[in-house]
Parts: sequence; C-alpha cells; structure tokens
Amino acid sequence: MSLGTYFDQLEHDVLAAMRKPSKLYWTALAVSAAAFALGLGCWGWQIYEGLGVAGIRSPVGWGVYITDFVFWVGIAHSGTLISAVLFLFRAKFRCSFNRSAEAMTVIAVMTAGLFPLIHLGRCWFFYWLMPYPNQRHLWVNFRSPLIWDVFAVSTYFTISAVFFFVGLIPDLAIARRRFTGWRHWVFRILSLGWQGTAEQWKHYAWLYMFLAAFATPLVISVHSVVSWDFAMSVIPGWHTTIFAPYFVAGAIFSGTAMVITLVVPMRRILGLDNYITVDHFEAIAKILLFTSLIVSYSYIVEFVLAWYSGNPFEIAHFSFRAVGDYKYLYWLMLFCNGLLPLTLFVKRLRRNLKYLFVLSLFVNVGMWLERFVIIVTSLARDFDPYNWGNYAPRFVEIGVTIGSFGMFFMLFLIFTKMLPVLAIAEVKEHAS
Amino acid sequence: MIREYKFDDKAAFLHKLEELVRSGVHPRRLTVTTPFHVHEVEHILHLRPSRLKLFTLIGAAAGLTAGFAFTIGTALDWPLRTGGKPIVALPTYIIVAFELTILFGGVISFLGFLFLSRFPDIPTIVAGTECGPEFIIREDTGEAV
Repeated sequence: MSLGTYFDQLEHDVLAAMRKPSKLYWTALAVSAAAFALGLGCWGWQIYEGLGVAGIRSPVGWGVYITDFVFWVGIAHSGTLISAVLFLFRAKFRCSFNRSAEAMTVIAVMTAGLFPLIHLGRCWFFYWLMPYPNQRHLWVNFRSPLIWDVFAVSTYFTISAVFFFVGLIPDLAIARRRFTGWRHWVFRILSLGWQGTAEQWKHYAWLYMFLAAFATPLVISVHSVVSWDFAMSVIPGWHTTIFAPYFVAGAIFSGTAMVITLVVPMRRILGLDNYITVDHFEAIAKILLFTSLIVSYSYIVEFVLAWYSGNPFEIAHFSFRAVGDYKYLYWLMLFCNGLLPLTLFVKRLRRNLKYLFVLSLFVNVGMWLERFVIIVTSLARDFDPYNWGNYAPRFVEIGVTIGSFGMFFMLFLIFTKMLPVLAIAEVKEHAS
Repeated sequence: MIREYKFDDKAAFLHKLEELVRSGVHPRRLTVTTPFHVHEVEHILHLRPSRLKLFTLIGAAAGLTAGFAFTIGTALDWPLRTGGKPIVALPTYIIVAFELTILFGGVISFLGFLFLSRFPDIPTIVAGTECGPEFIIREDTGEAV
C-alpha cells in the first residue's frame, strides 16, 4: 500500500468512528447518563437535607467523597504520563493511546473537581477555596495543603485541557476536510485555520515539547500535593514521607488500568484494530506491571516504616489495617493491586486483551479500595480510644460515587463521537 | 506565477525540496505544507528556531515571581502566626510558586503559539481553505502569469 493510500485509509477509518452511533453506543450512553442522573439526584438530596444524610461524621470526617476525589485525580494521571512522559521518551506506541488518555485526563479532573464541592456540604461557598481576601481582609492560608491542592488541581486541569486541544489542532483540520454540514463548521473554527505549513509545524512542535516538559513535573507535583493533604497531618498511617512517590505511582497505576478499561472496548466498537494493536497493549501492560510493583513495594515499606519507627500508634494502626474491622477491604486491595498484576509477567497474558480488560477492572476496584483503606482506617483509629469509630458509606455517598462513574463514562462516550480518537497526524508521522 | 508540486511520499518530497533550494530558489519563495511535522524541512529551508521559547521563559518567570509575590505579599498584608510557623513560610510557598510557574509558562506558551502562527487565521477560516494529506511545495517563480 502506498503512503498516500494508507493516509487516506487512516483518515477514513478514524473519522468513520465519529459517524452514526450504533445501538450498543446509545445503550452505553443511556446507562452512563442514568448513573450520572442518579448521582445528581443524590447530591441534590444531600444539598436539600444537609451533609447529615451522608455517613461522614466524627471521627471519620473524610469518607467516600475524598476517596473518590483522590481516585479520579489518580485516574487523570496516566493521560499525562502517556501524552507527555512517553512523548519525551519518544515511545512510539503512545500515539495509539494518547488522544483517549488525554481526553480521559481532562474528564477525570473535571469529575475529581466536583468532589471537594460535594464534600463541602454547602457547595455554594466553594469560592471560599479561592485565594481572595474575605470581608475581614484575611487571605487564604498558603501554608495549608488544601490550598496547595486548589492551585495544583486547577493548574493541572488548565494545562491538560491546553495540551489536549493543541494535540487536536492538526486532526481537527483533517476532520474539517472530511466532514460536511454543521460539523464542518465546528471543525473549521476549532482548527483555527490550520494549514500545516512549515512555520506552523515549527511553532507547533516547540509548543508541544514545552507543554510536555511542563506537564511531566506537574503530574508528579499534583499527586504529591494530594498525598500531602494526608501526610502533612500527624494521623497514624498518614504522617509518612513515602506518601508522595507512593501516591504518584498509584495514580499512574490506576490511570493506566483505566486506559485499558476504556480503550479495549473502544477499539472493538469503533473498529480500530489495525491502529491500536496487541503490541501497543503489551507495552501498556508492562507499564501496569511496573507501577504495580512500585505500589506493592510501597505497601511493604509502609509496614516496615511503622514497625521500625517503634511508634506504638503507628504499629497499632497498621495492625488494625491488616487484621481490624476493614481487613477484608485491605486484603482485597492487596489481591487486586499487588498479586493479580504479577500475572503480567507471563507474555501470553500481557497479549490477551480479554484478560487485560478484566485485570484492569480489578485494578480499578483495587485502587479505589486503596484510597478508601488509607483514608478511613487512619481516621477510624487515631491516638485516643475514646475517639475511635467506624464508618460505612450511606446511600447518597454510594449514589454520588456511581454518578461520578456515570459522568466519566458519559463524557468519554461523547468524546469518542465528537473528536478524532486517534492522533491521526502522529500516526502518519510514525507510519512514514 | 505559482508552481505547485504534490507528493504522496515523504522521501520524494524532501528530495524535490532539496533540489529546488540547491538550484538557487530562495527559501522565502517556497511554501511547504505537510500532513505532519517533518523536521528535515526546517534544515533544508534554513528556518530560524521558533521564538516560542521566549514566551515560555517569560511566562514561567512571571509565574514564579507571581507565586512568591502573591504568597509573601498576602502573608505580610495581615501577619497572622498560626501553628507556630513563620509568617513567611517559604518552603510551603514553593509549591504555589511551582504550580504558577507551570500554569503561566504553559498558558503564555500557548498564547505565544497563537500569536506566532497568526491563529486564529480568520481569512483562512472564512475562505474555507483546506489542507490535504499530501506533501506540497508551492514555488513562487516571480514571473507574471
């Protein structure tokens, strides 16, 4: 096949994915939208009744909402890893995943951003988080990790959105040429008048490199800051220096699993088997395995640090984690995140997409549980036995969590029909 | 008069481009469009490195300065000692300054890209000029049609 014919075929195949949706697509969209509506309903109920309808109360003041926040910020991370870090390392397989991963990042940060507001209870006071002087001319406390989080997450969202849009520009110009009607006009405006001249490509290449170079330390800083929301306190199980790298590795681990969860069915439904190959999935599976090993190592280090510190509160806390009231969740987490991914050492399993898909679901569950276990067990058993108490999420919290998954999948499904799901220009570059 | 050469193949396109430049055609008289970024074009046409890095540097420096100025300035605006920490707690302000360095650096780089590439290119958007999947060289011969 000549290069010209291949380019034509590539454009046709990728953009064909944006044509009329199938029944399966509509069903998936309807289910996601229903889940999202359930979440909105639960949130509305909580706003109407007050935060008391949720299960969070003293001593466990951070529950499922903060678990969800950390989980979704973590999911966002692999988008930046695949787009930026693998770009800087010149990993060619990234171009099969980067567009979906970048979209996933933007959507996941949007989802994550809702949780501090939901957790606030009186969400209409969200602007208290913003750095502005209040009526007493008192500014926010920049020494608080919660304020760092505001800066980190909003910067992350902005840079991810810019990175996503910049990567799309050449492909929007292709879509502009291939579509007619209202879509043609939308792409015509969004592609900004892109012509692909040498000057435009020159500036574009520099911009892409700078954004990748900015996004790489950003991705590390964001989850480090999220981890410091916990580590800066003195609560047993939280107050440890390992938290930042542990959280960053966990974030990339969970995000990579979510990429597999999304891209395996997307590839099948949109007929992109020729462009997203088993080799590409194998490369992603290796990242999953590698980050799983780092996470498993962190689980061990946490226990060793508690034991070696000789601190009775730390030792008691970690004993509680392993054999206390939440032990089943802890061991299930270990099974999903530490044990099951070890099977990826077997090449045959790394190349089996059905297996990878099922494994990725387990990892998603495991990583959600990891955050739940870290957050809840520490608050349930701190220093003073008179201040101990267990927590279980109530209906609204479960509903809002289901709603967040609904929102995430709904927006991702809309993305697959509105924008090119593969970085066409980049695939062309590698093919040439 | 504009002479146009179209190629499906990158190697043939680069060969022709090199040939034109070697035959004495000034790079300014050549307009090249490609379906993806071809590094070699910049060398052949002797294009100067993008000035985008200037925007990036200014943006990042502005973000860093703003980050420290904002945190230190507000802390001094109403000195309030909490938790036994110093009024100006620099290690904690590094995080805010770091995030703003990236935020300003990234956003100003993007604005710089729009400025240098003359985006959004309204006349092209209105005219609906398309760019195809081919490698194209347009040579302005300078002759009247």
